[in-house]
Parts: sequence; structure tokens; C-alpha cells
Amino acid sequence: MFLDQSDVQAIWLTVRLATVVTAILLVVGTPVAWWLARSRSWVKGPIGAVVALPLVLPPSVLGFYLLLAMGPNGPVGHLTRALGLGNLPFTFWGLVLASVFYSFPFMVQPLQNAFETIGERPLAVAATLGASRMDAFFSVVLPLSRRSFMTASILTFAHTVGEFGVVLMIGGNIPGVTRVASVQIYDHVEALEYRSAHNMAAIMLVFSFLVLLALYVWRTDKGKRD
Amino acid sequence: MSGARIKEKEINMMNLVLNVQKSFPGFRLAADVSLTGERVGIFGSSGSGKSTLVAMLAGFLKPDYGEILLDGETLFSSARKINVRPEQRRIAMVFQQHDLFPHLNVRNNLLYGYNRCQVAHRSIHLDSIVPVLQLEELLERNIGTLSGGQQQRVALGRAILANPRLLLMDEPLSALDDALRFQIIPYLKSVSEHFGIPYLFISHSLLEMRLMTDTVLAFENGTMIDKTSSEQLSRNRMGQSPVGYINLLQLDDMTERDGMCAYRWGRTELLLSAGNSGTVDGLFELSSKDIILFKKHPEAISARNLLECKVSELFESDLKIGVELKCGDMKLVAEIVQEAVRELGIEKGVVVFAAIKASAFRRLATMKI
Repeated sequence: MFLDQSDVQAIWLTVRLATVVTAILLVVGTPVAWWLARSRSWVKGPIGAVVALPLVLPPSVLGFYLLLAMGPNGPVGHLTRALGLGNLPFTFWGLVLASVFYSFPFMVQPLQNAFETIGERPLAVAATLGASRMDAFFSVVLPLSRRSFMTASILTFAHTVGEFGVVLMIGGNIPGVTRVASVQIYDHVEALEYRSAHNMAAIMLVFSFLVLLALYVWRTDKGKRD
Repeated sequence: MSGARIKEKEINMMNLVLNVQKSFPGFRLAADVSLTGERVGIFGSSGSGKSTLVAMLAGFLKPDYGEILLDGETLFSSARKINVRPEQRRIAMVFQQHDLFPHLNVRNNLLYGYNRCQVAHRSIHLDSIVPVLQLEELLERNIGTLSGGQQQRVALGRAILANPRLLLMDEPLSALDDALRFQIIPYLKSVSEHFGIPYLFISHSLLEMRLMTDTVLAFENGTMIDKTSSEQLSRNRMGQSPVGYINLLQLDDMTERDGMCAYRWGRTELLLSAGNSGTVDGLFELSSKDIILFKKHPEAISARNLLECKVSELFESDLKIGVELKCGDMKLVAEIVQEAVRELGIEKGVVVFAAIKASAFRRLATMKI
């Protein structure tokens, strides 16, 4: 067979992780992006910088601090144990939490740009027509920024699929639990299973290319129609 | 306007109490006015505070101090800590830019406010606004495919369909060229007349004030300096204006005569250059500076219009004298200097002859306004 059982398991885990992270970031990232686009508070700068930090931080550094925070003596660890969730490191949900931090700017920044471009005006117009802020957000802002939502979701999904350093720090290498596609390739290479590594790497390469191709073709086509 | 005629309603009166103050660095707006009216204008040049006032009335800007009451309901009160949210004020707006939602087609733009209006307040429906604004052919079109005038008509329809108790028109004509401007004015007026909605019309144009409003609040540097009729405001400002007072003449029943156009103006006939007038009826403007007065009938004169008129009123504006003339059943205002008043012995009741060149008229609109 082209892929063995563990490869399929790793790919399925990767897809599941990327889907959950993208869904969580759509919910969490949207209000953060909205706040960053609208706020005039002095804390906007520092918060914007924190959101963008994963773009420049080595994944091992981010993974290290997340590991400490989620560990038995860390604040997140204390909280998860108090909530009866146990320790998160080396679990699927630990990976999810780490990936949410790691992919945060990929969701927030395209949305923030879209919200800034749309501006305050459509909300004011909608208000004179009886729409509350929330109503105007869903009926005007969301449809006007759908392209950016699509871009942000694709980038977040693809970025989560491709992550390695943070995953290795937080999740380790547990088959079926934390061993995602990138870690599986690493394992194959370490075991000198180059054919298997090639197969997985080729899948990742084609996947990444197709995602970006789809994104660029769609944006170009949309741009022409607009 | 040709569209189906809808039964016209009495326009509801707005009862507006506006006693607000708002300060920004280098600018302070103070307004204290109580008014009852149907078609009220807020007039002022750029920086006079019009937009600040509109933003406070719509609820986008919180006054520092004071209160705003509309039809007895408190929309804002600093003393009682009341500030009704914009979407709950039932004040719809027509903006300078049409601000239509590009992701919705014409029909859905029109229905945006209607769908959010309480059922109890829905007295104006899509079927009744579409013929008035002649939107039948546009309903399924995308916003991007509409002309500027069509977009502004849709924006107007959308505001009216929100069934507001007051319509704020914030310089709705200033982004349009002259031709479009005078195409839109009849629509702006007719929706108010058809559906009985009072409006506040904001503009820096005296001519628009004349065409659109009865009462005008004039602002300058954040202070209300005048509350008067739009006609009186035009007369007061005649002397400062480079074009003087603009006479508005509705001319009908055009016939061609010796290469010129003869129009009926009340019981009088006026001759206009064909190039200036085109060949259809409509609304024309004539500057008070383009009327020459004679004490006696001149023997020979190149001007093609010589009207025998009676002086019905004299008024002063910035060292210029406005002479209101009764020409048959119609009125004109001519502008002369003090010296001419003395020399010609012009006073109320005196008969004079008004000479107007055929080329002095300028068409504003091809329809009745």
C-alpha cells in the first residue's frame, strides 16, 4: 500500500487537529480582530504585538513556554486540573491549545485588515436602519469580509497542518494521539525509511500547493468579478 | 415625474427640541432651538457644525451637555443620563455618498431597514415606494451596476422603508453633478409628501434650501445664527452672494418663435435663447443681478423681455437693495444699489419696467420641482 496504517493515522490526526484549531480560532480570533480593528485604547499596540508574536518567535521557544504553562506547576496546568481536565501536555487537546496560540496571527491579521478596510460607516448606516451592532456585524460586516474569512481559515488550517516544533514540544510523539503528519515524516527519516518519508512529504507538498493554488485562483477570480 | 401616483399624505410635524453643547479641540458647537416643522433645513458652510449636529441627532456622537427631544421622547439627556441608541431612535438617514450595501441587490437593500422595523410601525411597504421612486426595473440589479442617480434613489427608498419618524438628509446632493442633483430633488420632496415623513435637510447650498425646505436653521462656527424661512435666508444673503438672489421660475408651454423659445410664466410670456433653454418645460434660474429696472418704458432695448411690474417690497442686504417685483401674478427679485433706488425713486407701489436678456435664464431641471 502507498501509505501504512500509522501514516493514515497521522494524516487523519493532522486533519482533525487543523479543523478543530481553525474552528476555535474562527470563534476566538474574530472578536479579537474586531477589537484590534476598532479600539483606540493604548493597549491595542501591546496586544497586537502579542498576537503577532508567533510569526517571529522560534516554535521551540513558544512550545517551551507553553509546555511550562500547561505543566503540573504552570498556571494553565493548575486551571485544567482544577477543572478536572488533568494535564494537557502530550494529549490531543494540549496540541489543540498550543496550535491555537501558534496559528493565532494567521486568523487574526487578515480579519483585522478586512475590518479596518470596511470601517465604521456601514455600521452607522445599518444603525440608522434599525440594526444593532451585533445585527450589523452579521448582516453587513460578515458578508463584506467573507473573502478575508476564507483566506484566514485556509491560512490557519494550512499553517496548523505544517507545524512541527510546537507539536513536538507539547505533544511529543504518541501514535494516534499526538503524532501528526510532520512528526511522522521526521520518524520515517530517523528510521531511514526514505520511501515512506517521501510518500508523506509528497502528500504534504501537494496538499500545501493545492491549498495555496486554490486560494490564489479564487482571489484572482473574485477580484476580476468585483 | 411620471411614475404611478400614490395618494399623498399630510406630512407629520416634527417637534424637535435641541439644546446641546459639544466641544472638540479648537471647536465648540452650541445649539438651543425648539422647532415644529415638516421640511426643516440646517444650513452652513463647511466647519459650521452641521455634521456634528447631525451626528448627535442620529446618536453617533454624544453631546457633552444638554438634551435632545423628538416628538416628546427624550433621545438624550445629560441630566437624566439618557442616551437612546441610534438604532432605537427611528431616525433614518440619507447620506452624501449613497452607502448602499454592495453585497445586497436593490430589493434587499430596500428591505434592510423594513425588515428591522417593528411590525406596528410598518406603514410604508416595498410596493408603495417602488413606483414613487421608479425602481421597478432595478429591483434585482446589483448595486455596482446602477448609475449615481439610481443609487441615490435606492438609498432614499431604503431610508423611507425603515418607516422612520424623521428623515435626516445629510448633504444628499453634494456628490452629484448639477444634472443629477435636479433629477433627484423631486424624488426627495415627493417621498416626504407621499409618505408624510418630516425631514431635516442639511446642506451648504442656498438653492437646495430654497427647493427643499420651509424653515432653516443657519449655523456659523458652531453657533446657530439664524432661524428663518429659506426664502428670507436667501434674501438676507443676497448682497454677499456673487450670484445675488436666485429667482426660480417654473416655465411651461414652450413654443418656438423666431429661433427663440417662448414660455408661459404664470400669465406672462418670457423669451429665452434656444441654446440656454433646450426645448422642454422646466425649472429655470434667473439671477437678481440679471434684471435691469427702468422707471419708464424704454424706447429701444436689446433685452428680449420687458415686463411691467409693480414694486411690492424693498429689502436691504449688505449695501445692496433687493426689489421684489410683482409681474402679473408672479414675483421676481431684482438687485440694485442704493443710488439707483434714489435716482429711480423706487418705493413700494411704484410701477417699473424690468428688462431681462433672453440668455440670462439657466435651466435647472426638466421637471416640476
